[in-house]
Amino acid sequence: MLENIATGFEMFFTLGNLLAITAGVCLGVTVGAIPGLTATMAVALALPFTFNLDPVTGILLLVGVYKGGVFGGSITAILIRAPGTPAAACTLLDGYPLAQKGQAGKALNMALYASCIADFLSNLSLIFFASLIAGLALAFGPPEYFWLICFSLTVVISISGSSLTKGLISGLLGLLTSTIGLDLVYGTQRFTFDNFNLMGGVSYIPLLIGLFALPEVIDFYVRKVAPFTVKTADKSRVSLAELKSSLVTIVRGSFIGVIIGTIPGAGATAAAFLSYGEARRTSKSPETFGKGNIEGVAASEAGNNGVAGATLIPLLALGIPGDVVTAVILGAFMLQGLTPGPLMFQDNITIIYAIFIGIMLSSVVLLGSGKLAIRYFARIADIPRHILLPIVLMFCVFGSYAVQSQMFDVGVMLAFGLLGYIMMKIDMAAAPFLMGFILGPLFEDNLRRSFLISEDITIFFRSPICWIFIVITILSAFVGVRRELRATRAKRDALRSSGAA
Amino acid sequence: MKLNRRTLIGAVSATAMLAFGGSAMAQDYPTKRITLIVPYSAGGATDVLARQVADGLAQVLDETVTVENRPGAGATLGTTQAANARPDGYTLFMGQVSSHGIAPAVYKNLQYDPVEDFTPIKLILSIPNVMVVNKDSPYQTAQEFLDAAKSENMSFGSSGVGSSIHLSGEMFKARTGADMTHVPFRGSGEAVPALLSGDVDVMFDNLPSAMPHIQSGALRALAVTTPERSEHLEDVPTLDELDIAELDGFAARSWFGLLAPAGTDDAVVATLNEALDEVLASDSFKKFADTRGGQIEGGSPEDFAKYIDGELSSWKTVVDEAGVTVE
Repeated sequence: MLENIATGFEMFFTLGNLLAITAGVCLGVTVGAIPGLTATMAVALALPFTFNLDPVTGILLLVGVYKGGVFGGSITAILIRAPGTPAAACTLLDGYPLAQKGQAGKALNMALYASCIADFLSNLSLIFFASLIAGLALAFGPPEYFWLICFSLTVVISISGSSLTKGLISGLLGLLTSTIGLDLVYGTQRFTFDNFNLMGGVSYIPLLIGLFALPEVIDFYVRKVAPFTVKTADKSRVSLAELKSSLVTIVRGSFIGVIIGTIPGAGATAAAFLSYGEARRTSKSPETFGKGNIEGVAASEAGNNGVAGATLIPLLALGIPGDVVTAVILGAFMLQGLTPGPLMFQDNITIIYAIFIGIMLSSVVLLGSGKLAIRYFARIADIPRHILLPIVLMFCVFGSYAVQSQMFDVGVMLAFGLLGYIMMKIDMAAAPFLMGFILGPLFEDNLRRSFLISEDITIFFRSPICWIFIVITILSAFVGVRRELRATRAKRDALRSSGAA
Repeated sequence: MKLNRRTLIGAVSATAMLAFGGSAMAQDYPTKRITLIVPYSAGGATDVLARQVADGLAQVLDETVTVENRPGAGATLGTTQAANARPDGYTLFMGQVSSHGIAPAVYKNLQYDPVEDFTPIKLILSIPNVMVVNKDSPYQTAQEFLDAAKSENMSFGSSGVGSSIHLSGEMFKARTGADMTHVPFRGSGEAVPALLSGDVDVMFDNLPSAMPHIQSGALRALAVTTPERSEHLEDVPTLDELDIAELDGFAARSWFGLLAPAGTDDAVVATLNEALDEVLASDSFKKFADTRGGQIEGGSPEDFAKYIDGELSSWKTVVDEAGVTVE
């Protein structure tokens, strides 16, 4: 084994590999930071470049792009409330309020530290526990998955903002929107109004951009009172104390990411929100979340980057791609004549070691290139808003169009922008809407798949995993609702007593 | 109507320009960037193949060929856009079993006509589907599976409604009268784990996605769905050769081919067909096809047109028999 590791090292330490990782991460961060261009697209676009590269170099390039992309998405989420990738939507909940307070630098740096730590832990899990936790991917059949989604839906309680009722309405609207398009089992059209563009459902990216970025732009022009002042360059940094106090959150988020990443199809967005919900639930001051709590940024980024290394677990250990990114990476392996899976550990173990070494290094490269990116991107926060917002608007349109080259999607973005603005005005949180929209199809698919596999309802209680999730779903819903109700009552009492005085 | 000499000359020369200008353009073809429309997202099987083809064409024709992804509505969105593109040879389309085989049979309100709106250029690659079960499954052969499926309900996984994986299963079910329930997933990547863990009993997966698991022994291949055995799985029989009367002539496969919008100049089509010959014969393409478990095809534009006709009618039969439609 030591000999294999040594050969792996030898294979890895070439100029080409180091360049591939660095170029990959930098490309990923840049593409990820552009709203509308996701980490997934960046990986797909980089794929043809790997055709003529050596296997290790090619794979590392793709992994680098992916990891860079996942972090890059948080940059614009924090600065202009336009998540560069869907997984960064959770980061803006606290990142953007921090930027508004003039602490964009702090938020960005915390996002980077959380990303790198989570990435590193995720890589360690991949390397040391791949075969151990790969079994999770197969242990999650439709019923287990169904309960996992139920549990994830309880996060809506944590991200509802000022009013639980409004949060739930928002989440339900999201669920409703997710039913638009062809249904999975019979291909029936739902809410498509015979419009061809709606057959595939509402596109994800335009909805995301519309819901979060556009309301800020509309608000600025409607109110016409936003400050036109130029702020001085933002010098805020993450203090050691802040990093220390967020460390538990980051580690917890990383492991949530690892588990979600191991299960095919669950995705980084769900991981980010789950991690965020947990951080808020265990926090001593949950009311500060959503108003610019640095821990919220840490939780979200730890969650979505924790997924990055772990998605490679089912791919390398079982040969199963869990999402589009790993499917592309699988394609790259196959083009090189390599087949990921148990056999690869027997036949090409040195290549695996070389890739592992590269992946470990990618966390460090991410830290370096992230620092560099922040230095330049953070200046965006200093641009006067009357100049910045038209540019943001342009990116909203461009980003929506870029996904499928469809003008229809620009319309979708505008429609959800209007909805987002109305929700903002009536103080209804948009994050539950997004959760509902993302989790809705997973909820429905797995419910129906379970019934197709077995007509017997007992299938939903078939395994310990089901029971675990049933219990924590009930607990989470019960505890969450009780806490929110208490908080509301406390607020009301405080209001009344101040009124009486 | 009064015709003076000047207008007459003008009219004649305009007609001449139209007539000869076209072929003069075809002779120079290509003089600018060619766009290859792919109706799926970047990174999928069709996209990866298209990029390989685009790369090869660019080298042979010495002109840039860019891939443009137009995903949505089960490939029908991008296909509609390709159908409406200008037939000047600078917009090409990566057709496949879905756009020019299954979708026309499944979708009721399709916005394009697979035959009238397209000029076929060449069939590029075909991929067999393979009937696979879990390694712990009690069924060693397709016959054993079929016997069991006649008395008890079996579930078959697929990558989604209307995929060749789904319809291969439906074809099997309709032909044999087996009791099978379709369990759709979103992509093979989600369906294969369900097969590996035993949540579904069988799958008629595309060979490339099943291959690694067949090699590692996690899945057992019972049969391939093509008329001939696959060179990648020489020991595995075809459904056709199994001596099961209901399965005689069973043929279902995934395929990819290059098309252009209808009305594209014949000379342009010929140029592209010849260029593709060179691409398909190249070592890099052979290696690509090999790693994907695919069979390199070829032939004239007419062969491809005939092939598409055959595909359209055979999938229509399956869809009608199985009663699968998307409104």
